[in-house]
Amino acid sequence: MSISRFLEGLPSYNANNFTKFHVDNNNRTPLKRPSVYVPTKDYPAEQIIVTEKTSILLKYMQQHWDKKYNLKKRDTSPLSHEPSKKKARLETTSRENSRDYGVLNDY
Amino acid sequence: MSHHYIVTAHKPTAVTSCVTGNFTSPSDLNLIVARNTRLEIYLVTPEGLRPIKEVGLYGKVAVMKLFRPQHEKKDLLFVVTLRYNAMILECTSDGENIDIITKAHGNVADRIGKPSDTGILVVIDPKARVIGLRLYEGLFKIIPLDKDNYELKASNFRMEELQVQDVEFLHGCVNPTLILIHQDGNGRHVKTHEISLREKEFVKIPWRQDNVETEASIIIPVPSPLGGAIIIGQESILYHNGIAPVVVAPPVIKQSTIVCYAKVDPGGLRYLLGDMAGHLFMLFIETETRGDFTEAVKDLKVELLGEIATPECITYLDNGVLFIGSRIGDSQLVKLNQKADENGSYVTVMESFTNLAPILDMCVVDLERQGQGQLVTCSGAFKEGSLRIIRNGIGIQEHASIDLPGIKGMWALQVAGSTQDNTLVLSFVGQTRVLSLNGEEVEETDIVGFAADQQTFYCGNVVHDQLIQVTPISARLVSAQNKTLLAEWKPSTEKNISVVACNTRQIILSTGSALYYLEIHPKELILKGNTTLDVEVACLDISVLGEGCTSDLVAVGLWTDISTRILRLPDLTEADKELLGGEIIPRSVLMANFEGHNYLLCALGDGSMFYFTLHKDTGLLSEKKKVTLGTQPTVLKTFRSQSTTNVFACSDRPTVIYSSNHKLVFSNVNMKEVNHMCSLNAEAYPDSLALATDTSVTIGTIDEIQKLHIRTVSLQESPRRIAYQEQTQTFGVATARIDIQDSTGLNPARPSASTMAQSVTISSSVGTLGMSKSGHTGLLSNQVPDYGQEVEVHNLLIIDQNTFEVLHAHQLMQQEYAMSLISCTLGNDPNPYFVVGTANVNPEESEPKTGRLLVFYWNDNKLTQISEKEIKGACYSLADFNGKLLASINSTVRLFEWTAEKELRLECSQFNNIISLYLKTKGDFILVGDLMRSMTLLQYKTMEGSFEEIARDYNPNWMTAIEILDDDTFLGAENSYNLFVCQKDSAATTDEERSQMHEVGQFHIGDMINVFRHGSLVMQNIGETSTPTRGCVLFGTVGGAIGLVTQITQEFYEFLRELQDKLSSVIKSVGKIEHSFWRAFHTEFKTENSEGFIDGDLIESFLDLSQDKMKEVADGVGITVENLVKLIEDLTRIH
Repeated sequence: MSISRFLEGLPSYNANNFTKFHVDNNNRTPLKRPSVYVPTKDYPAEQIIVTEKTSILLKYMQQHWDKKYNLKKRDTSPLSHEPSKKKARLETTSRENSRDYGVLNDY
Repeated sequence: MSHHYIVTAHKPTAVTSCVTGNFTSPSDLNLIVARNTRLEIYLVTPEGLRPIKEVGLYGKVAVMKLFRPQHEKKDLLFVVTLRYNAMILECTSDGENIDIITKAHGNVADRIGKPSDTGILVVIDPKARVIGLRLYEGLFKIIPLDKDNYELKASNFRMEELQVQDVEFLHGCVNPTLILIHQDGNGRHVKTHEISLREKEFVKIPWRQDNVETEASIIIPVPSPLGGAIIIGQESILYHNGIAPVVVAPPVIKQSTIVCYAKVDPGGLRYLLGDMAGHLFMLFIETETRGDFTEAVKDLKVELLGEIATPECITYLDNGVLFIGSRIGDSQLVKLNQKADENGSYVTVMESFTNLAPILDMCVVDLERQGQGQLVTCSGAFKEGSLRIIRNGIGIQEHASIDLPGIKGMWALQVAGSTQDNTLVLSFVGQTRVLSLNGEEVEETDIVGFAADQQTFYCGNVVHDQLIQVTPISARLVSAQNKTLLAEWKPSTEKNISVVACNTRQIILSTGSALYYLEIHPKELILKGNTTLDVEVACLDISVLGEGCTSDLVAVGLWTDISTRILRLPDLTEADKELLGGEIIPRSVLMANFEGHNYLLCALGDGSMFYFTLHKDTGLLSEKKKVTLGTQPTVLKTFRSQSTTNVFACSDRPTVIYSSNHKLVFSNVNMKEVNHMCSLNAEAYPDSLALATDTSVTIGTIDEIQKLHIRTVSLQESPRRIAYQEQTQTFGVATARIDIQDSTGLNPARPSASTMAQSVTISSSVGTLGMSKSGHTGLLSNQVPDYGQEVEVHNLLIIDQNTFEVLHAHQLMQQEYAMSLISCTLGNDPNPYFVVGTANVNPEESEPKTGRLLVFYWNDNKLTQISEKEIKGACYSLADFNGKLLASINSTVRLFEWTAEKELRLECSQFNNIISLYLKTKGDFILVGDLMRSMTLLQYKTMEGSFEEIARDYNPNWMTAIEILDDDTFLGAENSYNLFVCQKDSAATTDEERSQMHEVGQFHIGDMINVFRHGSLVMQNIGETSTPTRGCVLFGTVGGAIGLVTQITQEFYEFLRELQDKLSSVIKSVGKIEHSFWRAFHTEFKTENSEGFIDGDLIESFLDLSQDKMKEVADGVGITVENLVKLIEDLTRIH
């Protein structure tokens, strides 16, 4: 019978846990609220999670461009103006990205 | 301008997620439960769950997962909030104190991206190399967990699959490999993706399975060595590892949808599944050894174990015990038994945890005419549906009462070898009477050794099986066995004893200003110390603090210099003295231990009380505080309730003093006055109290000691609306239950309130028997549902206000939904009516086109339908408007008159809404809350008999609740968990300006508010209005929280704003989310700083700070710590 196979030998981390369990009165307990943690000590950040700012579309285009650029380099001399156009767009992106957080800082 | 203070009266109770692991230490087994913004950490112990800490976050927890990085000995917690704040938390403890360290944090939102319909999904690689997040359609974000980098660079991968239902990491793969279920036009499919961390993209698809079950929704990754994953659908369960799939279709899971699972053992062969109907299943993977000695999955076995609360999450704790976290019912601690019980269930509920969520509607009533409001909420849903009666203060359940005027003192004794109290001694002026308790019989008796012709100042059981009685003349030691006098002690000066205190081994008494200390020995009382003080003694205490049988200290309250002093025993030298100030003498003094801290309490003759921290070893007093309990002299006595010691303050406002979160809490008891009390543990009255008033003695039991008392009335069907009718002492409750079509017809899925009512009527309507005007006949009880189809059946229940019995149920027509309900009188008709607004719901229509207004009269135990009116839509809201009926029907607001023929006649209408969902009225003004067009203020013009639109808020707000604060100020709650306040400017010069409401306050509350009600949970106390707050609006939320909004002056607001700013920098935020970020009004389209609201929860947390941090904050706002504590403690008393 699979139920008994399932229910026998259920994992035990500490065999004593719940052995002295007893409820004071009629099953329903109002929440035993633990004491509230109010931290006042500042622990400097160990690590920061940073989201990359370039959208995946630009990342893809850049990778694609790099591949194309490397290919073309073997054939012809590189076109000089395009890389700088590329850079300018990136700057716009990071400015636009920081706009999102800028709203809150405008007190 | 508007200035408001908002605070939580009852924290959210719905469990949103739960995890188990080793968090507080490598050997501790912890359960962590998330309730909206709060994390609760518990320790699993032999006694059960022990609460360790509650951590508040500045964000709603969207996902919470425990993981263990390689080479770490304990687990870390990863949390993402709804506004994409991510954090990795570690717990460190040094024995007593624990600290939650934010190891990593950051916001993982993207500037562009469509948030997915299936929410925020987070998965952590089994080897803890990466964390994966599916936040937006078409994108998958990876955070590599590099221990050595300061920056954890989260990068987006393009994910082709849209409408991803679930995602997980597979076990046992060289590179992190995802498995996901996604949906497209053809159905649902399973796909795997291997991740290259170097290339930052998906590199290959190890395997896939197209066209799995169309309702496949949950992936369970199976640990090594088996690997692969289990896919759970509505009807089938599939195991797949890319090689050999195994599918089962157990009929037992078909009835409902599986919503959560828990892994039982690390090997991953056993799982528990929970479905929406509250069924608990086991899932067992049966394996076989193949030719090449590898294990392969042979079969999946699914069996029903039993019933639990409708689960949101399940987690396995230890030794067959599970925690079931519920969002719509009481969460539970449940045990799996090896053997089924007589109902075939393998499940036993060990403990239930009260949950108010979701609060759909509520009303504030004063059922006991105490001048104190109680809240009755419509809580829960489906089989978890209930009414919850929430009261501030503690109740006494009366068991017996004896008329007996003039009692001056009362004590319970155990005589003649009894282990329970069997005697009650009552003291009067000039005499003492003794009552013996034999079961429930009470008869007068006597104790030979006692002096019956004297007033007793004290009596009780003492050591060596003896009794003590102290009268003005002497202290008498009596045998508890044969009640004969053993010894008597009189003061050598022949003066009368005036005050006495006693414990089981020691007595302290005074004759004026002389003090005598006696020790109790077998058959003798020995004087061990005496002294004379400079002033007369008013009260004494010699209570033992903590464990132990004797006290080293005596507390004294004195006349003349109005002081309280601590004296050492046995020499009675002074350890400390505190002047109380004023001219009112101390009447009662008490040393008590609460939650491990020692206090000295001293109550004065004017009902106020001072309390100090008492240092047991030195006898020194510190941290003086004052509170007002009543207006009459107060007597303090300790008593035991369950396993904790509490203090009862007897006065004209009886109060129980107990400790919570290491602070003293004062909770009113619902009795008018108590002069004396004592604990009573008698055979017929175990764990009781005996309470004496001027005229009688009551024996009763006391409710659970806590600030808010909640009583549950289980309905087992969904309550939607509630209305109180004082005249008939009943509640009207609109409910919805589920009926299922089977071979015998449409039958209720389970017994519930409407099926078990004392009497039932069913709606029928003459007017709708034929075709309705719009030609929609389909919805008029001709359609038979398909076999197995679930149908919602709505009822109006009439419930008795005292017993909460369901007196009557009135069933509405098929597909007729009860949308609104009020109790009111109409026109000149003196009868009180219940008015129900309904909608005829046809799934093929975009919105209801018809409905009814039904007027019922409850009288003489019968419900009679007095009137009925057909309406052209759903009646979302009703209001009593100066004797007329105001109804919001689809996009209109309509006013109906009550004619002499008892009919509703349409008087006027207003049309300018998308869907008018909410109505509130004040005088001639009507506030209308719209589906998406915020709020509009209308005025009823009596002369013209029509509505005029006065002003509206032109901001797009998707409303969930509204309230009128005053003639010009309106409160709104909207769909993105924000609150805002609008004001109309009557003084504006142009018409155009006057017609525009201005938003003058906004705040992010972090929970969805369903209902606002004016009212208060605390008694409106006269003479105690030191707090400059005005008015009180209570609100109930989907998360089960109850809060209140009150108005404050601009001056107070500015002070509190400064205090709030200081606190938000002194109190560090777990996860390092800024308080201002959290409380900013935020929707998908705009984010603006909070304005006009003070966060009361942050203000109140000042009281949890250490002394020096309190000083830092107080200095920051230019006020003393003592004054600031008093100010904030006063603020906590508004709820």
